[in-house]
Amino acid sequence: MSIAISDIKTQELYSPDISEITAIKRFTEKEKWFEIKLPGGRSLGHQPGQFVQVSLFGAGEAPISVTSSPTKKGGFELCVREVGMLTKIFHNLKVGSTIGIRGPYGKGFDVESYKGKDVLIIGGGIGIVPLRSLINYVIDNRKDYGRLIILYGAKTPDEFLYPDELKQWEKSKDIEYHVTVDQGTPEWKGNTGVITTLIPGLDLDLSNTITAVVGPPIMYKFVLMSLKTKRIPDENIYLSLERRMKCGVGKCGHCQINHSYVCQDGPVYHYPELKHLQEAI
Amino acid sequence: MKKYQLNKQQLSSFIDHLKEQGTVYAPHKKGDASFSFAKVVESDSVILEYNRTLNSVKKYFLPPREQLLSYSKTNNSYQKGVIEKEKKIFLGVHSYDMKAVLKLDYNFTEGNPEENYLLRRRKSYFIGVSFIPDEYHFSQSVGIPVHDTDGFDIYLEKNDVGYTVKIITEKGEKLIKGFNGLNDALDISSSDIQFQNRLKYNYNRLPEVFEQSWNAAVWEEVAKRCVGCGTCNLVCPTCYCFDVEDNMDLSLQNGTRDRSWDGCMLNGFAAVAGGENFRKSLADRQRHRIFRKFRYITYLTGEPWCVGCGRCTAYCTAGISIVEIVNKLCDEYEQKYLNRPVEQSGLNLEGL
Repeated sequence: MSIAISDIKTQELYSPDISEITAIKRFTEKEKWFEIKLPGGRSLGHQPGQFVQVSLFGAGEAPISVTSSPTKKGGFELCVREVGMLTKIFHNLKVGSTIGIRGPYGKGFDVESYKGKDVLIIGGGIGIVPLRSLINYVIDNRKDYGRLIILYGAKTPDEFLYPDELKQWEKSKDIEYHVTVDQGTPEWKGNTGVITTLIPGLDLDLSNTITAVVGPPIMYKFVLMSLKTKRIPDENIYLSLERRMKCGVGKCGHCQINHSYVCQDGPVYHYPELKHLQEAI
Repeated sequence: MKKYQLNKQQLSSFIDHLKEQGTVYAPHKKGDASFSFAKVVESDSVILEYNRTLNSVKKYFLPPREQLLSYSKTNNSYQKGVIEKEKKIFLGVHSYDMKAVLKLDYNFTEGNPEENYLLRRRKSYFIGVSFIPDEYHFSQSVGIPVHDTDGFDIYLEKNDVGYTVKIITEKGEKLIKGFNGLNDALDISSSDIQFQNRLKYNYNRLPEVFEQSWNAAVWEEVAKRCVGCGTCNLVCPTCYCFDVEDNMDLSLQNGTRDRSWDGCMLNGFAAVAGGENFRKSLADRQRHRIFRKFRYITYLTGEPWCVGCGRCTAYCTAGISIVEIVNKLCDEYEQKYLNRPVEQSGLNLEGL
């Protein structure tokens, strides 16, 4: 193999765009929502399910899913759980603070190919963060899609994100919205049990339903089993994987699963592609 | 192809000639038993007869540590690191290390061509040299004979009185221009150099073995000895994984974003925030390392990504041999899938 390296146009891959935080909301003790404006107010131009590398000088970079829909005008949005040093510093930033952004990166949900189909969303915990981008995309292009069914599970009732939007989803006649918590509280009136308990009762047009699943690694195994029992064809399932990433551009090797780089071929995978990869789920 | 004779006495003046055209990097002695590529200051200190250098020339295109950015927290601004673009002439490169550079070219251009790598790589010239394989080299088994000239601008083949100089490319032609220490080539044919060490199967048969090797017994066996130090990653000429971290200076206002070599054998390599680690055990990580050399990129390119230099084995702190691992995979494959009696393979593979 010989590559004519002098003919190739090089790319400046590691220079972030300094962007401004324009709004912040706290959802839970651990999760905060941020609206971010790119330089010159240009649009991020992402697909639902893609991510950006967030850069905080002194702390480094981390891959974070975009939570706003590309249909939303103005800045894009991130929802960040505080789990380490970088996210802790992120949480302490104020409106008007600047952060670095690289991306959007990876492959998102293939919304074009879902057109005309029913969309079943299964989100566990912060898995709802990238899914919210897809949900809002479908809502904003409602006539292009069939039913919109949302299953959303959290550990406890106080861990639900996007409280205002959840109320709208619940009220909307256009959305079939089901929630559950692993552990209820005395005030909790809804379902209790893991997210898979919501699947058997669904009445689905199996061959015409696209299923988008995002959640913690442990959730995938059980959700995929339930979907199999429900006889949802593998070709109709998409899921998004979390990996460590240092570059986001297919070089650093951290996100590699077999021959696939999650930052290039994922984070959203068509399940039939993923089935043959070891160490994926 | 033009051929000349460079006699031993002329070698030093040849190197002087090269130095007039760019920065020359060549193998030097390092300590009693090691060799290392270094910038040539004294032409006499260059060693062209060596078994292997501790690191390959990879370090000049993907430095062990490099500054991607320098930043200021005061006004949240940054500047890109400086990428040196000098003309580099690499003298005394073995064929397997040259092939490794061509493989890295793929990794750093595929998808997103990386400026940092390519700017360093573009202005480089390669002058290869023949070598005598020792007990660790097995590059022939991965399709790279000693005299493979792919990638070289000039190739030096050792003979009794010096070197046969083969001009491979126009760049090579330019390099010798104005040097009058070359004589007519001697009438000798190229020597056929044999390897002591080899893989049980040639590389083109390995994909069928690796297809069946995910659950092989050898991964646990190797993991018992492996200490997870990552030396094999560091010395591998085709390992290119890296880490990026921010380092602050003492003012806590300014700092640099640095990238450094990383290794998939290290425990935290595949860990994510929240505690999940996708390759927790040493067996998982050894398998990943070997699969990266013989299956994953091979699946995409059709080529093995191991060049048979023998470094990971020669420098392993626990005496783990990549040839032994691959040969055991071949044995297990035969046992399970071909129903053939198995000869135990070990490091001593004479007669295979």
